[in-house]
Amino acid sequence: MASPSTPAEAAAAPVAAPTPTAGRRPLSERIAGLVFVAPGVVWLAIFFLAPLAIILVVSLGSRDAANHITLANPSLDNYLRATRPEYLPAFANSLRYAGITTILSILIGYPIAYWISRYGGSRKILLLILVMLPFWTSYLIRTYAWMIILRDNGVLNSILLTLGVISDPIPILNSDFAVILGMTYGFLPFAILPMYVSIDRLDGHLVEAARDLFASGRGAFLHVTLPLTMPGIVAAALLTFIPAIGDYVTPDLLGGAQTTTIAKIIQVLFTSGRDWPYGSALGFLLMVVTLGGTLLALRTLRREVIG
Amino acid sequence: MTGRPGDPTDALIERELERYLVERRMTRRQLLEAVTALGAAVALAPIVAACTNAGLAPSAAPSTGPSAAPPSIAPSEVAVASATPEPTPVPSPEKELFVYNWDAYIGADTVTKFQDQTGIQVHYDKFPDADTQMTKLRSDGKGGGYDVSYPASTELPSLISDGVVLKLDKSLIPNVSNLRPEWTNPAYDPGNAYSIPNYWWTTGYAWDPAKVPGNQTTWDALFDPASKGHIGMLDDQREVFAVAGFKLGIDPNTTDEAQLDQMLNLLEQQKPLLRKYTDDDIGDMTSGNLWISHAWSGDWYQMIADKPNIKYVIPTTGAVRGNDTLVVLSGAPHPIAAQLWINFNLDPQISAANTNYIGYMGPNAAAEQYIDDAIKGDPRLNPPQAVVDKLVELIFLPPADLDKYTQRWNALRA
Amino acid sequence: MRQRNRWLSGFAVLIYAILFAPIVVLIVFSFNQSRRNFVWQGFTLDWYPKLFANRDLISALGVTLEVAVFAVIGSTILGSLLGLGLARLKFRGSGATETLLLLPMVTPEIIMGISLLIFFAQLFGSNGSLGQISLAHITFCISYVAVVVRARAVGMDPRLEEAARDLGASAFGAFRYVTLPLILPAVFAGAMISFALSFDDLVVTSFNAGVGSTTLPIFIYSSIKFGVTPQINAISTIIVVVVSIALFIAWRLGAFRSEPPLAAVEDAPAT
Repeated sequence: MASPSTPAEAAAAPVAAPTPTAGRRPLSERIAGLVFVAPGVVWLAIFFLAPLAIILVVSLGSRDAANHITLANPSLDNYLRATRPEYLPAFANSLRYAGITTILSILIGYPIAYWISRYGGSRKILLLILVMLPFWTSYLIRTYAWMIILRDNGVLNSILLTLGVISDPIPILNSDFAVILGMTYGFLPFAILPMYVSIDRLDGHLVEAARDLFASGRGAFLHVTLPLTMPGIVAAALLTFIPAIGDYVTPDLLGGAQTTTIAKIIQVLFTSGRDWPYGSALGFLLMVVTLGGTLLALRTLRREVIG
Repeated sequence: MTGRPGDPTDALIERELERYLVERRMTRRQLLEAVTALGAAVALAPIVAACTNAGLAPSAAPSTGPSAAPPSIAPSEVAVASATPEPTPVPSPEKELFVYNWDAYIGADTVTKFQDQTGIQVHYDKFPDADTQMTKLRSDGKGGGYDVSYPASTELPSLISDGVVLKLDKSLIPNVSNLRPEWTNPAYDPGNAYSIPNYWWTTGYAWDPAKVPGNQTTWDALFDPASKGHIGMLDDQREVFAVAGFKLGIDPNTTDEAQLDQMLNLLEQQKPLLRKYTDDDIGDMTSGNLWISHAWSGDWYQMIADKPNIKYVIPTTGAVRGNDTLVVLSGAPHPIAAQLWINFNLDPQISAANTNYIGYMGPNAAAEQYIDDAIKGDPRLNPPQAVVDKLVELIFLPPADLDKYTQRWNALRA
Repeated sequence: MRQRNRWLSGFAVLIYAILFAPIVVLIVFSFNQSRRNFVWQGFTLDWYPKLFANRDLISALGVTLEVAVFAVIGSTILGSLLGLGLARLKFRGSGATETLLLLPMVTPEIIMGISLLIFFAQLFGSNGSLGQISLAHITFCISYVAVVVRARAVGMDPRLEEAARDLGASAFGAFRYVTLPLILPAVFAGAMISFALSFDDLVVTSFNAGVGSTTLPIFIYSSIKFGVTPQINAISTIIVVVVSIALFIAWRLGAFRSEPPLAAVEDAPAT
């Protein structure tokens, strides 16, 4: 197990992958490897890294009186300015929303993925597509629909009133609850799909053997199914947590005056604040923190699981 | 009437066509350069090089055009000077027009009528917000490929100095004579040299009298704990700070740090009372989540379509007014068609149809006879001059001053 | 065991119901008389004919679908190869490649959008176009596909492919007949995620759109200011209904019956 830090390796670890045969691979196979990896890497280098480098340079610049970006005195000032304590609540909001969304998406998504995989039968693919179908409508219209459900005179309040749970409409929209509901709704499919492909790969015989060994469904699940599907769970966490950290539209629409996220602050700096250097610097800090945290979490996960 | 190019303008149009050709030639050269760049780009190095030298500066500023390159594209001098007549047959360049505008910002038939009358095919693209609009228009320093757009008046000074907009040829816009006298020499663009005023509005607030009783005349209602959890403020930093300014008796264009801190302090006290800072005051008011909301006058006009009892006030203690403009972009592929479009929209009946559709008053004196009484006769949408004179315009702030607002706005929001 | 099955099925039904709850509301409001889709004003069918007469909206849908097709094809190919390569091969720089893969996901959308805008405008003089949007979408979709494919491929037993090689299959043959079928569900899942991402993207798209390349999200967000008309609900309704019908027909024709239900084995001993 060389190069310890890579996510999927962490994910793969519990599977106790068969001995890596890296060193012994013939040249032809290494060329084949290049064929796999090179196109994507080159693409990302041109259309992602190169443009990003422009913004990186911008983040070192400043603005002159006419609001033109100048690199006359490149400095790290923008990064120092970006570590303001007053942004901490917004960062905390982002972390909280993303964290809760990720946990909920996995807790809800795993049983669904498991159910589709095990009981879906010939309808598996159909059930999967059905998970995605709501997302082929427009995000904004879906979110408006949630607003119609959640607002003061909305569907949910009417139901609660009819049931006698409440006597006056309660404000549900524009709250933490609404934000987390909206985000979990939005990211759930991103959690279900990778967990499904991971669960679905399981060899039924393995589980059968495990069940003989542990003599209980729960034991078999905890000791075999769960560890074996860990790569899917990790992928689900990645696909949920990382985009959720950067989401500001959902907190903007379903949230209220108190639900500002750090991504919203970055957006303000770029737009009405017109301060691209500062916005870029804050953006890069957020990226570094998110990326670092993700890699660290993956490494820890790997260590914990292997013991 | 509607600016069909008449005889006296023919010569002018020819001249404009010539400019257009030169323009296009330049564009083709740029294209060639671009192709070369594409070839080179594969090796990444030129990209980094291009970024690190002057190339970067022009591109990046949100409110900037090329800092190094002069506002070259004002074709009047440059083009004619470099015109090496290329005997290309003119493929009538006026067959198309690229408009970049808000959604639903003109009368429902305006585009169709223009197309029918001029034979020019209009491509109408919309932007979701003014910031996207500005970023796009400034991305290449000359309008992002569009002919006509509708920037807020506060953007004009920098758009002009950065060479993003084209100096208007008034002989192509004879309907400019329809403007009310008070709109002929605005401070943001003396003599309307680069822009024509389009709509104007006030920023007050709207409320539902069923929930918020009484006749409101000051900003206090937006700070009233009785409406806690149902108050909305616009998601617009300058407008929000202006409200605090009016309440505290501070100039809403202030750049004094102590005064700004006072404003921030007041807004921080208000924040716990708020439901949200809204981008959609119309939806939030009509759906009943908000009982009272900071709002633009035209938004209120849209609200009452769904909820007729909603009221609106321009507080007597001071309020903001603003206007937007029509401009031709310096890189416009069809500058003549663009100016024909502006002229067309200054036609009294077209202008009135635009206003009747959206509810914002325009600066067009000749149009007033065609404007619905519901708009023209409502002092909330068309306040008397005495009220207008007391309203304040938010001025364009240089970066250092704007930062003072942005920093506090972000602190407030976070 | 049957009990857990029933419990789980109940949970699944509930979650599917929640997934579709806003869709039901959305469809109901496509018949709303109000010009804005917020307050119910009475029933009307008007929005459907109006929608078909709205050339801008139809064109926006066309652009969106075109972009989505490019984005799905491009990102699925590049992302699957990348995910597979990372899962199966040990090579110098695989750690760096991993990080590269996560980077587009952690990049705030506005930064990605603006960086591409500057990149294309300044280096290629491009003012935005359908092609430029497609390139941008491929770029941010690659990572998602790669992560999903990798999650499936990473635990795959390489001995399967080796066995195929031992039995005389060529490298390509072993890939084609052993590896590919095994990762296919992940490729499919990645493609679906790409489609959803591309179909809904606003921020990156609005910076990279140009004359005539307005997408559906740009169209819709642009109308927030003056009210999103039920035409948008109507077009969403049509998409959902058309896709549902197509799915149902495909399912009846047996289009999805590709994999043997491995899980059946797991169920067997449970009585």
